[in-house]
Amino acid sequence: MIFTLVVPGPIEDVEEIRVLEWHGEPGRRFAPGDVVVELETHKAIVEIRAAQAGILRRILHPEGSWQRLGEPLAILSDAESEPLPATPELGGKEWAVEFQIT
Amino acid sequence: MSSRRLFFNEAIARALAEEMEREDKLVVLGQDVGAYGGAYKEFAGLYERFGAQRVRDTPVAEAATIGIALGAAAAGLRTLVSITYMDFLILGLEPLVNYAAKARYKTGGAVRVPAVVKTTAGAKGQGVAHAQCIESWLMGVPGLKVVAPSNPADAYGLLKTSLREEGPVVFVDHKRLFSTAGEVPETNEVSMPLGKAAIVRPGTDVTLAAHSYAVRIAVEAAERLEPAGVSCEVIDLRTLAPLDVESIGESVARTRALVTLEEGQPACGVGSEVAFRVRERLDVGIRVARVAARPAPVSSNAVLEAEVLPDAARVVETTLTLLEGR
Repeated sequence: MIFTLVVPGPIEDVEEIRVLEWHGEPGRRFAPGDVVVELETHKAIVEIRAAQAGILRRILHPEGSWQRLGEPLAILSDAESEPLPATPELGGKEWAVEFQIT
Repeated sequence: MSSRRLFFNEAIARALAEEMEREDKLVVLGQDVGAYGGAYKEFAGLYERFGAQRVRDTPVAEAATIGIALGAAAAGLRTLVSITYMDFLILGLEPLVNYAAKARYKTGGAVRVPAVVKTTAGAKGQGVAHAQCIESWLMGVPGLKVVAPSNPADAYGLLKTSLREEGPVVFVDHKRLFSTAGEVPETNEVSMPLGKAAIVRPGTDVTLAAHSYAVRIAVEAAERLEPAGVSCEVIDLRTLAPLDVESIGESVARTRALVTLEEGQPACGVGSEVAFRVRERLDVGIRVARVAARPAPVSSNAVLEAEVLPDAARVVETTLTLLEGR
């Protein structure tokens, strides 16, 4: 199955974040609890952890780029061979994550 | 011109870092401006880069802090003094209004006070004395300039210009703006003069004039009014003193209707000044209305706070009422 990782929320005051660091390249398999990506707000770091297993397939927003809350950051899938959608909007279900603000 | 997206607080830090780099005499003072990086991280990196000599933490003593900053500027430094909550700027009004704003006039130009008082206005859950927008109090002080940007690019440009002024400037930002992001030009040049308003959304039926965070509310109201067939021109005042009456008047001459919006109190507010000056200037009949905080203190209770603050719904309602039967 294909999943979309979206910027989670709500985060108080925050409409938009900047991607600080991806923890892995496309092809990496994430287990629940793994840190996937760190995001920056105007005053904090938001650490995104996997809440389900998945393989990172395509990064839509590289480090240093911006995205709004609720909008897609990456495409993941259960199996390596699954064909990817042409556009992230067709990326299927939202991938389950947990996030912590520090 | 290339640009880079920054948070509002980053735009302030960048403007300061660049100006401190080019001007050795520029010193920053205020509560938590040092290693902590500012209450809103708007001074982040300055202490590490320029050291404790030029980025100085001060105690909770606003009157003394403002007095010291203005005195140091009169004696030859350039200073930026940070007053975290605009409510406590009141403690430093004496040296600001009676001394700094008048020093140049009183001394025939011999003494100048190149200081920026940077302060944060606006309500955000912190109650009656950590919420006020009292910038209109300052608009009538000869010798004092007042700027109030609404976005990162203007914060950057107007702060850099303010830091090169020869007299005191009050730079007003807003608690709800720091987390907003926007493109900031990748240039070290100062090209944003004080006293110039900006049309942020062109329109034909009514002019909405606002400053600081309220510009975002005005834009939201304009978006909501569009489907109702009302075309709003949104003007960001950017500088309150000097006020760009020419640009506002030019807009209202076309739309024949003006709605002012501010988070401060309506009585003797920014809006009443804007409306009067525009009316004085134009020889055509115009419709005028204002939206501001309700005449009550701002509670830390979220429901009561929202009740007092102006929002897009009130702007929409006021605008529709104003334009009725046109």
